[in-house]
Amino acid sequence: MPVAGRSVGGALAAILGREGLREDDAARAAASVDGEVPRWVARPATPEQVSGVLALAHDAGLAVAPRGSGSALELGRPPARVDVVLDLGGLDRVLDWSPDDLTVSVQAGVSAGALATRLAGRRQLLPLDPPGAATRTLGGLTATAASGPLRARYGTLRDLLLGVRFVQADGVVTWGGARVVKSVSGYDVPKLMIGALGTLGVLVELTLRLHPTPEAERTWLVRVRDGAEAQAVVDALLDSAIQPNRVELLNGAALGAAGLPAGAAAVAVSVGTVAAAVRAQGEALAALARRVGGEAVPQPADFWDRYGRAGALGGGVRLRVATLVTGLAAALGELDAAAADLAPGVAARVTGCAAVGALHVALAPIAPEAAAALVERLRGFVAPAGGSVVVEAGPRALREALDPWGPVAPGPLGLMRALKDEFDPARVLNPGRFVGGL
Amino acid sequence: MALTRTVLDALTRILGPDGVISSPEGRLVYECDMQTFYKGAPDVVALPESAEQVEAIVRLCRRERVPVVPRGSGSGLIGGAMAPAGGVMVGLNRMDRILEVDLPNRCATVQPGLVNLWLTRAVEDRGYFFAPDPSSQMVSSIGGNVSTNAGGPHCLKYGITVNHVLGLELVTGAGERVQLGGKVADRPGYDLTGTAVGAEGTFGLVTAITVRLLHAAEAVKTVLASFPSIEHASEAVSGIIAAGIIPAALEMLDALMIQAIEAGIGAGYPKGAAAVLLIELDGPAAEVEAQAERAAAICRERGALDVRVARDEAERALLWKGRKEAAGALGRLAPMYMLQDAVVPRSKLPAIMREILAISERHGVQIANVFHAGDGNLHPLILYDDRHPEQVERARAANEEVLHACIAMGGTVTGEHGVGLDKAQKLPLQYADADLNFMYRLRGVFDPDRLMNPGKLLPSHPACGEGFRPARPRLPDGAWI
Ligand SMILES: Cc1cc2nc3c(=O)[nH]c(=O)nc-3n(C[C@H](O)[C@H](O)[C@H](O)COP(=O)(O)OP(=O)(O)OC[C@H]3O[C@@H](n4cnc5c(N)ncnc54)[C@H](O)[C@@H]3O)c2cc1C
Repeated sequence: MPVAGRSVGGALAAILGREGLREDDAARAAASVDGEVPRWVARPATPEQVSGVLALAHDAGLAVAPRGSGSALELGRPPARVDVVLDLGGLDRVLDWSPDDLTVSVQAGVSAGALATRLAGRRQLLPLDPPGAATRTLGGLTATAASGPLRARYGTLRDLLLGVRFVQADGVVTWGGARVVKSVSGYDVPKLMIGALGTLGVLVELTLRLHPTPEAERTWLVRVRDGAEAQAVVDALLDSAIQPNRVELLNGAALGAAGLPAGAAAVAVSVGTVAAAVRAQGEALAALARRVGGEAVPQPADFWDRYGRAGALGGGVRLRVATLVTGLAAALGELDAAAADLAPGVAARVTGCAAVGALHVALAPIAPEAAAALVERLRGFVAPAGGSVVVEAGPRALREALDPWGPVAPGPLGLMRALKDEFDPARVLNPGRFVGGL
Repeated sequence: MALTRTVLDALTRILGPDGVISSPEGRLVYECDMQTFYKGAPDVVALPESAEQVEAIVRLCRRERVPVVPRGSGSGLIGGAMAPAGGVMVGLNRMDRILEVDLPNRCATVQPGLVNLWLTRAVEDRGYFFAPDPSSQMVSSIGGNVSTNAGGPHCLKYGITVNHVLGLELVTGAGERVQLGGKVADRPGYDLTGTAVGAEGTFGLVTAITVRLLHAAEAVKTVLASFPSIEHASEAVSGIIAAGIIPAALEMLDALMIQAIEAGIGAGYPKGAAAVLLIELDGPAAEVEAQAERAAAICRERGALDVRVARDEAERALLWKGRKEAAGALGRLAPMYMLQDAVVPRSKLPAIMREILAISERHGVQIANVFHAGDGNLHPLILYDDRHPEQVERARAANEEVLHACIAMGGTVTGEHGVGLDKAQKLPLQYADADLNFMYRLRGVFDPDRLMNPGKLLPSHPACGEGFRPARPRLPDGAWI
């Protein structure tokens, strides 16, 4: 049914009120996604308003791009269309925090930083620390399956998200999962929403598992001579009784960016537990480092703030490289070789969780063709063992030149397409941006 | 439902005569799982030895529109691996090989019929273990654990089965064999692996599983504390969590349970103990040492009658003995029991235990409690004598009320055993129509003909019917033409 723009605007205004809807050029331009300027910017204040907007969009045939803090809008393919940007920053209430149960329910627009500040009062933490997490919304972190160094100990959102309230493409408000730490009643719907980029539903509320903040924590930088030694450190560490909470790999460029002493590579390890055990494990780590020819150097408390900056590179390209843990050194080597061949002189910083083989590569500004060639080459290298390379951020031209998600095997892709067809047949939610153009 | 000759012949062609059980006596063995209330023998039992055979069976059944019921070891407690609508039961216990152990990458790939404990046995000499440890781990299959998303005493710290599954090979209800996930984390796309864990066979059959292996902890320490009341013990649980300690296991037994155990094996719990708390800590030696001391001190501060710390492996086994033999000890009190698996927020433990006591008095039934206190997962055991029908009725009524009480306190109907036939009609207590409808449609994506383990996990409820649409918000009137 063809819809006149003004009357849709009127309906949106009726749902959102004056404060909740922006139609002026400045607001629309500021909310653009990959250069696609929406016709409306909706900022709902309640889940009911989200539901109203989606029901309207569904019936009027509009495309909706949900938005958290706007930090990850370059993830995915350029959108097929954007009519409404749905800014969820207004859903910013902590609904229920039960310290005794180590659970919290929040609205999706709450930032990880705001929650952390609250939780610190009772020495609890949500161990979700990707770069920039402080200002990112929990809904956005969930939709993009973000993770950071602490995953080495606490896992990812898959291990932290207990329940989720979302609004389906046609406006139906739906709940999945539970508010308690253990439940197997019905399908694990929260898992389906993690990393789905809002393509199956717009997240409005999350129930999360919390952890106690360790009594003491300490960080060491294990300095090594090359990638092979870094690999040896990681392998030995994971095969030891040391229980690290972070195991991050850095290449030479990342060391430089973090203001750390120059070197070819290093492994940053932190341990968090009772003070006596931190000491004991520090000694064990030092011995382990010596055995493989490296050196474990204690770091100041602000190490992880500086580390976060090593991954940030304005205007460049960011990649997420997943590889086998035993393939870390080889992936580092291939990246160096590929960069030298395809993008000589372009710095490539590598950081990431060595304990699970989840690396982040930040490239300085680079021609899209060169970046595309580099990504394809890396994909060819890690794919045989089941690895993947995703373009997390970069210019639109790059994400048009190649699929930022990379290939997904036909079997799972068929199921993913069937899911999208079932839950968003009209392609309201973020159309075109997800894997396989979903 | 009687199977046609065509189906039987085709199954025999796929599996050979050794792989098909069709005699009435043979099929009877498969009429129920460990929840023996529910009975339903399949028309035939198929025993494949490969994923290819599983795929052929599903395709055949789909063509002939015959229900398919997967079965691992049949240790389930929910009426899961049984065939209320007849059809073909696919027993996976012949597919019990370890396909690959990759310790440097800390994972293994196994066939679904492999018994849980065998995997740990295969890697423990090299210092690794498979974390999910349902009390049935000596018999239950990893395929069954994955399909029920099983928990265990140590999942407080280590998480439940899904937290340890990296990948699955699944033969969907559409008869497609797909590889979901794998050794490398962070695949682009929807987390189909995570979504398929716990599907109880309703998405299809799991034919291979890649699981994470963990490095064994350096040290383990077990503390046993007894208390004059459940309130005291619950206070201690809260105190331990508030001190920032997450024990590997935190189990509680109540007065009736203690009485049964003392009358039976005699675990040496002190007189007057109305609650026993079993606390197990593992991790780096220095951490375990400090935390065990702290936990013991907290128990004393909260009025423990007696606190014991195991000094060696033998003593540790002794402290666990009462917990492990709890259910068996009940045999002295009554011939039968119903087992509940609901969950409440941990902070509601004292309240729910008071409520359960009231329910037991109201219905004149004895209820013993042994449960995973750390995560609020209750296991009230409601005692009855099945020779007296009115006792059965009273037990049933009490069981029902316990469940409702847990939901009213913000809990869930099942914490680890699963839904199956047993709890399918209970899901509406916890989910609204829109939520159930979403799940119903999700199942259809994996199993379009709804032939995979029909009648399980989802209720026969209006929200799960064809054509049902949950209410959508009303749009503002007259906004456009
Ligand atoms: C004494 C005792 C103690 C127990 N303790 C625990 C406990 O601590 N924690 C806990 O969680 N459970 C416990 N259980 C319950 C039970 O052991 C678990 O649910 C277990 O995971 C079931 O495994 P199984 O191989 O016996 O599966 P089955 O009972 O054969 O099947 C369980 C369900 O999974 C489906 N299924 C099985 N294999 C597959 C497959 N390969 N593909 C698709 N679907 C499949 C079946 O159709 C069925 O719906 C206990 C049971 C007993 C008898």
